[in-house]
Amino acid sequence: MGIVLGLCSIAYAWAVITAPIDSMQGIIQKILYVHPPLAYGAYLGFAITGVAGIIFLGRGREDMDRLAIASAEVGVIFCTLMLITGPIWARGTWGVWWSWDARLTVTLLLWFVYLAYLLLRSFSGPSPRTARFAAIYGVLGLVLIPLNYYVIELFGSRSMHPENLQGGSLGDGMGLPFLLGNITLALAFFYLVFLRWEVEAQRTVAGEGSSAR
Amino acid sequence: MNVALAILWKDLISEWRARDRVVAMLIFSILMAVVFHFALPGRRPEELQALTPGLLWTAYIFAALLGLNRSLALELDNDALAGLALAPGNRGWIFLGKATANWILISLVQAVTALIFAIFYRVDLAPALPGLALVVGLGTVGICAAGTLLATMAVRTGFREVLLPVLLLPALFPVLAGAVEGSLAAVQGVSIPFESLQLLIVVDGVYLVVAFLGFDYVLDE
Repeated sequence: MGIVLGLCSIAYAWAVITAPIDSMQGIIQKILYVHPPLAYGAYLGFAITGVAGIIFLGRGREDMDRLAIASAEVGVIFCTLMLITGPIWARGTWGVWWSWDARLTVTLLLWFVYLAYLLLRSFSGPSPRTARFAAIYGVLGLVLIPLNYYVIELFGSRSMHPENLQGGSLGDGMGLPFLLGNITLALAFFYLVFLRWEVEAQRTVAGEGSSAR
Repeated sequence: MNVALAILWKDLISEWRARDRVVAMLIFSILMAVVFHFALPGRRPEELQALTPGLLWTAYIFAALLGLNRSLALELDNDALAGLALAPGNRGWIFLGKATANWILISLVQAVTALIFAIFYRVDLAPALPGLALVVGLGTVGICAAGTLLATMAVRTGFREVLLPVLLLPALFPVLAGAVEGSLAAVQGVSIPFESLQLLIVVDGVYLVVAFLGFDYVLDE
């Protein structure tokens, strides 16, 4: 999987370099090939954390708890990178680093939720209790995603993000690098989660895992 | 259900005997009102009136954090929390008892705080009172539901009380959004937007259900 990811990265880098420069936004528009794929990774990571937590609570499966850690950590990394690339792009096109736009606000809050999740884990030390606490907090985070979107829907906050990004809305020659970006970063996401999951499993074997008794 | 009432009664009695939590929250809230005076210097009274609901909720949230932490930290003495976990029946009722006690105590503090803010910032609260009470009451249900659950976790981590704000504040965004909007309308004398009440009720319901069910795993010894 690592080799595939390496090959994809090369193709992705090449595609982004050779992609046409946007006539309106200039070179900064190339963040497009990184930013939305990072967002998908972040949301996917948070969703997996919540669902794995539920399965862990319901069935007592410790491997699910380890998966929750892995996807929360990778999700936070993706979310952090998204929150870094976003303002850079925003400064270039909207003229401001930050706006309290619906999607920005929700994503920032989710980032805090999962940072808190990781803090909760690291402050309580490895124990079955920590695993349960984290799982409950992960469920709360999962509930917060639709709840936050509901708030924004209700108060009709405007968003500067395009409502849906379809292939057709991209200019000529931009579709392929965007597609490659999505594939590569999705691969990177799953690869990182898998590696982290393995590490946690090894730790459990070594008797220092987060959910080890 | 009896368990919930017993816990509620126990919490109210012990607070009545010690009177430390309510007093601490109250002094803190009044201090917040003074802090805001220095944080927003040179504002005209009309400007401050428009800001008051937001300031009020800021004080409410932080005072609530104080009270919630204390409410669960108390149970750590003599391993009382472990004792509660051994009580027969659904642990959700224990949550409900504690959350209700917190709601009553925090509401009491909030009522006095509102009075203090009204005096300091010259807001006429009398006509806004029923609407404001409704919004604050509903908002506080959400705070107490999520707060009681998360405080039960936080006080038993290595970081104890410090962790609760980090855990709770991100979860309070929907509550704040609805509550500040509703309080602003109440203070300005217009009818409270239905969206705020709807949002608060939905959030309260969701948090109550999550906390009621989740408390079983949080209290598990």
